[in-house]
Amino acid sequence: MKEEILNKSIDPTVHDMLAVAEAAGLETVWERLEQQLPQCGFGEIGVCCRNCTMGPCRIDPFGEGPTKGVCGATADIIVARNLLRMIAAGAAAHSDHGRDIAHTLLLTAEGKGGGYEIKDAAKLKRLAAEYDIPTEGRTKEEIALDLAKAVYAEFGKQEGPIQFTRRAPAKRVELWQKLNVDPRGIDREIVECMHRTHIGVDNDYVNIILHGLRTAISDGWGGSMVATELSDVLFGTPKPVWSEANLGVLDEKMVNIIVHGHEPTLSEMILAAVQDPELVALAKEKGAEGINLAGSCCTGNEVLMRHGIPLAGNFLQQELLVITGAVEAIIVDVQCIMPSLGALSACFHTQFISTSYKAKFPGATHIEFHEEHAYDIAKEIVRTAVEAFPYRAPEKVHIPKEKVKLMAGFSTEAIVGALGGTLDPLLDVIKSGAVKGIAGVVGCNNPKIQHDYAHVNLVKELIKNDILVVNTGCNAIACAKAGLLVPEGAEMAGDGLKAVCKALGIPPVLHMGSCVDISRILVVCAAVANALGVDISDLPVAGAAPEWMSEKAVSIGTYVVASGVYTVLGVAPPILGSPEVVELLTAGAEGVIGGKFAVEPDPFKAAQLIIDHIAAKRRALGI
Amino acid sequence: MAAAQAIRELDSHGAITVLSAEADPPYYRPLIPFIIDRQKTADEIALLGQGPYTATDIDVRLDAPVTAVDPQAHTVTVSDAELLHYDRLLIATGSRPHIPPTIQGADTPGVYALRTLADARDIAERAARTQHVILAGGGMLNLKTAFALLERDLAVTMVVTSPEVLSQIMEPDGAALIRDALERAGLRILTGRNITRVIAGPDGVAGVLLDSGEELPCQIVCIGKGVRPNVEFLEGSGIHVDGGVVADEHTACNTPDAYTAGDVAVTFDPITGERMMTALWTNAVEMGRCAGRNMAGRPTAYTGTFGILNATQVAEVPFVSMGIVHTAGTDHETHVVRAANTYRKMVFTEDGERLIGAVFVGDIRHAGLYRHLIRERAPLNGLKAAVIGHRLHYGHLLRW
Amino acid sequence: MKEIFVRLDRCLGCHTCEIACAVEHSQSKNLFGAIFEHPTPKRRLFVEWVAPEHKLPVLCRHCEDAPCMHACISGAITRTPDGVIITDEAKCIGCWTCVMVCPYGVIGRHLETHTAYRCDRCPDQDEPACVSACPTKALVYRTVEEFSADVRQVAATEMLAGEGG
Repeated sequence: MKEEILNKSIDPTVHDMLAVAEAAGLETVWERLEQQLPQCGFGEIGVCCRNCTMGPCRIDPFGEGPTKGVCGATADIIVARNLLRMIAAGAAAHSDHGRDIAHTLLLTAEGKGGGYEIKDAAKLKRLAAEYDIPTEGRTKEEIALDLAKAVYAEFGKQEGPIQFTRRAPAKRVELWQKLNVDPRGIDREIVECMHRTHIGVDNDYVNIILHGLRTAISDGWGGSMVATELSDVLFGTPKPVWSEANLGVLDEKMVNIIVHGHEPTLSEMILAAVQDPELVALAKEKGAEGINLAGSCCTGNEVLMRHGIPLAGNFLQQELLVITGAVEAIIVDVQCIMPSLGALSACFHTQFISTSYKAKFPGATHIEFHEEHAYDIAKEIVRTAVEAFPYRAPEKVHIPKEKVKLMAGFSTEAIVGALGGTLDPLLDVIKSGAVKGIAGVVGCNNPKIQHDYAHVNLVKELIKNDILVVNTGCNAIACAKAGLLVPEGAEMAGDGLKAVCKALGIPPVLHMGSCVDISRILVVCAAVANALGVDISDLPVAGAAPEWMSEKAVSIGTYVVASGVYTVLGVAPPILGSPEVVELLTAGAEGVIGGKFAVEPDPFKAAQLIIDHIAAKRRALGI
Repeated sequence: MAAAQAIRELDSHGAITVLSAEADPPYYRPLIPFIIDRQKTADEIALLGQGPYTATDIDVRLDAPVTAVDPQAHTVTVSDAELLHYDRLLIATGSRPHIPPTIQGADTPGVYALRTLADARDIAERAARTQHVILAGGGMLNLKTAFALLERDLAVTMVVTSPEVLSQIMEPDGAALIRDALERAGLRILTGRNITRVIAGPDGVAGVLLDSGEELPCQIVCIGKGVRPNVEFLEGSGIHVDGGVVADEHTACNTPDAYTAGDVAVTFDPITGERMMTALWTNAVEMGRCAGRNMAGRPTAYTGTFGILNATQVAEVPFVSMGIVHTAGTDHETHVVRAANTYRKMVFTEDGERLIGAVFVGDIRHAGLYRHLIRERAPLNGLKAAVIGHRLHYGHLLRW
Repeated sequence: MKEIFVRLDRCLGCHTCEIACAVEHSQSKNLFGAIFEHPTPKRRLFVEWVAPEHKLPVLCRHCEDAPCMHACISGAITRTPDGVIITDEAKCIGCWTCVMVCPYGVIGRHLETHTAYRCDRCPDQDEPACVSACPTKALVYRTVEEFSADVRQVAATEMLAGEGG
C-alpha cells in the first residue's frame, strides 16, 4: 500500500477506498487540499480583512509592510472581528437547527406534523416545568404547544435570560452577568456579531471577544440545547444501544441508503420510511434483500443514539461512501456536506438527494422536505433510492469489510440511569480518584491531520490515565471505529477507570450524541458542579477538539471555555496574527471566565496538558 | 557552430574556421520541415545571429567537405585539393540518413530522406505537383515532415514497421494518445508493414509496393529510418572510429588536439554507463559547447547524454520522452498513469531508488526537473511520491 | 544587473505575486480586465509548497549559461544585453525542448498559442510586478552584490549575537 495513502488516515477502510479512488481517477478532499497548498498565510493567521471595499486589507506579520488596514484596524482588531464572525456562523448553524426542531415540535403539537409524534412525554413535562408551563391534567399536545412557543420565543427575544442558561450553576450565571455576557436572545446575539464586525463599529478586541463569549453561550446553553432537548421530546431520549460503525456496515445485497447531515427531523422519517412494507417489497422486487440504512456525521449519530442505526463513517469518509459503488442514495440536509458529492455521485448510480431549501448542491436531485408532509416525502425519497438499485454496476462495487461494534446512547438521563438514578456513584469515584476527571472530546475531521489519528490517540491516552471520556460527533465515530466504545475497551484504560467500567458494564468512552448534544455534556457538568457545590470552572474536567475544521467548532470551543472548561484544540484557529488575542484566549481568559484555550496538534502532548490540568483542579478541590 | 560559439565566448582572438559540406549557411536543422510547408523561409532558420549564436568573427566556408585528416601533421584536406593546418580540430560531420537496402528503387526521383535544407527545398517544390505522400518510418522526423505536408493539403500515409508509431522513443501504450491525435489530424497510419519497392512513373515516383502486397499510389516518398555517422573520410587517418568517432570524457579523440561532438561522436549514457551515439540536436549542442570549451583550454567534462531525449508537439498533443522508457521484459520499477488526455510513465531502477526514465504525453509541465533527477542519478529519498504523482517542483530540490 | 531574489522566511504563500505577474502580462494591465482576456494571461512564477510548512516562489533564474537557450531548436531564445533570457514567441514552434531541459521547471506551455513563455523581468516596469506586489517583501530586486551584502549583514549580526555581542 502506498505510503502516501497510509499517511492520510489510520482507518484501513480509508486506505482501501483511497486506492480504489486513485485507480478510478476520482478526486477526493485530500487531493483538493494538496492543490490548494500553499494556502495563503494571511488567511492562516487571520490578518486578512474583506469586510469593506476600502480593502481587501492585509497586515504584514513581519512588520515591513502595512500594519493597519485602510480604516486603521490593527491586527488584533482584524483577528478578533474575523473570529467573531466564525463564532456567529457556528452559533447560527446550531441555533437554526434548534429553531427547526422547535418548529417541528410546534407543528406536531398543532397536529400538523406529517408523521411526527411526541415520544418522551416525561421529558416534555420536565422541560415545561423549567418554563413554568402548567402540566397537570393537560394532554401532551397542549403542553408541547406552549413549550414550543416558549422555546420559539427564545430566538426572537430582545432581553434575556435564555431559560436553559439558568441550568448552569448559580456562580457561573453570576459571572456571566457580571461580565455582561449573559445572552439576551439567540438570534439577537448573532445579529449583533454582524453589526459589530461591520466597518467602523467594534474596534476593541476584548470587547469583541466578550461578545463572542456571549454569542457562544447563546448557542451552547441556547440553540444547541434547544435542539438536543426538543429532539429528545420528539424522538425519544437516548438509552444505551448497540450498533456498528465503519464502511463495512454497507451490505452488497441490500439497497444502501445513507443519511448525512445534521437534523433528526429528516433522518427519523427516513428511518420510518425504510421500514415501510411497501418500500421493502419494492426493494425485493428490484432484486435486493431489503433496505439497509446507515448514517454519516451527526444525523447518523442522532439515529444511532435513539435507534441503533449503524454509522457508515465520519466527515472525511463521505466521499468514500459513494466510491464504494454500493450506495443507492445519499440523502442530505444541512451542514458538513461536501459539494463535491454531486459530481462524484454522477460517476456511479448513486442518487445525491438534497432536502433542505437552505442547502442546495450542484448535481443534486432536490426533493424538498416539509415537516407537514414528512412521512410522505420520506417515502418518495426512499422510493427514489430503491429504484436506483438495478442501476448499480457490480464491477464498481467495493465495500471494505471493516466494521466495529459499539455502544452508544449515553444521554445525561441514560448516564444517571446507569449510575442507579443519581450522579452520586460518579461523584464518589471522582472523589476517590478511581476516575480522575472527565474529558469531553469532540469535533470534526480535518485532512490537514492524519484522519482519526489525533481523535483516537488523545482518547486512548486519557483513558489510560483514568480520565473518563465523553464524546460526540465525528470524534465519537472515530473512537467507535477504533473499538473504544465497547465495555471491552476498558482493557485500554487505567486500573481505576477499568474497574468502574467493569462494575457498570460501560465502555470507558461514552458516546453522548451529535455536535448539538455537547449541550448534554454541559448539563452533566452543571449537575456535577451543583452536586459538589462549586462552579464548573472548579471541576476536574477538560474539553478537546483534536481535528476540528468548522465554524461550528469555534462556537463550541468558545462556549465550552465560557462555561469554565479548559479546552485543547488540535488545529490552530486563525488568530496567530494577533499576539494579544492569542494571549487573551490562551491565558488571560482564565482569570476572567475561568476557562481558556490551548493549541496542541500532537495528541499525546495534548493529553498530557489535560492530565496535568485535571490533576491541578483535583488538588484545588482537595480531592 | 555551438562549439565555435563556446570558443568565441572564451577566446576573442583565435581564428575559427568552420568547414561545411553543404551549400547553405548554417541553419537550425530541426526546422527544415517548416520549409516544406512554407511556414519559415531559409533566412528565418539561419543559425548565425539567432538564439545564442551571437559571435561574429567566425569564418564559415560552404561547399567545403573535408576529405582527409592527418592528425600527426595537424592538417585537413578540403575537397581532395586544399590542405589546411589546425591547432585544434573538431570533427562534427554529423550523420546522414540511412536508406534501407531492402527498399528497391530508392534512387527514383521523388524519393527523399529529409536531412538538409536542400532536401527540404526539393520536397517543397515537388509537393506542388503531388497529391499523395508516403512516409517510411514512424519516428520523430517523419512525424514532423508529415505535418508539414498535411499543412499543404496533401494526403499523407505513414508506413511503420513496428506495431505503433514512435517505437524508438516510447512503448505502444504511451504512443496511443499521440496516434489518436495524428489520425484525427488526417494522417493515415499503417503499422506492421514495410515498403519493398518504389514504383517509378514518367515523373519519378508513382507509387510503392508494401510487403503486405498492397500497392499505394504516391508522388513523394520520405524515408525516415535513422541515420549513419559520416566517418568514411577518416579511414586510415589513425583517429579511432568504432561506429562513430570515439570520444573520451572531455570530448577528445585518441590523437592530440582533436575533438569530436554531435551525431558523429560516440559518447556514453550516464544511466547505463554504456557507449552510445545519439542523433539529437539538444545533445549535439551540449556536446559541441563542451568540446568548444575544451578546445579553448577550459577542461570541461562531458556528463553524457540520454539516448532518448525528445520533446515535440504534434496535432496539439505535446510529449516528452527521456532516458530509459522501454520497460517490457525488464525488471525496472514502472509507474504508468493514464487519463483521458494524458499519459505518463516513470521508470525507476529495480530497487526503486532512482529515476531512470520518464514519458509525458499531454501534460509536460516541469519535465526539466525529471531530466535533472535522471541525469544526476539522484537518490529519491522522500521525493518518489511527488515524482510518480507529477507534482515535483523546484522547491523539492532546493530543500534536499 | 539586478536579479529577483527570494527571502525564504518571508513567503506566506498568498500567491499575490502570481496574480500580479499575470496581470502585468495581460492586455488590459488590470485584474478585472485580465481575467476575461483571450488568450488567458499567464503567471510566470509559481508559489510552491514543500511539506510541512515551507512556501517558495519559483521563477526563471535567467541563467548565465542557460540550458534552454542552447537546447532551443529554432533559435527563439536569446539573452538580451541586460542579461534577461527571452523567448521570441514568433519564432517559437512549441516543441517544448526548453521545458525538457529547464532544471527549475519554470518555462510554461501556453495552451492557446502553443508557444513557450517565461519570466521576462517586466521590461516595461522599473521593478518586476511580482516584487512590487509582494506584501511581505519576500521578493526583492537586487544585484547579487547587494543581496549578498544584506545576507551577510544578518549573518554577521547573528554570529555576533551568538558571541554575546
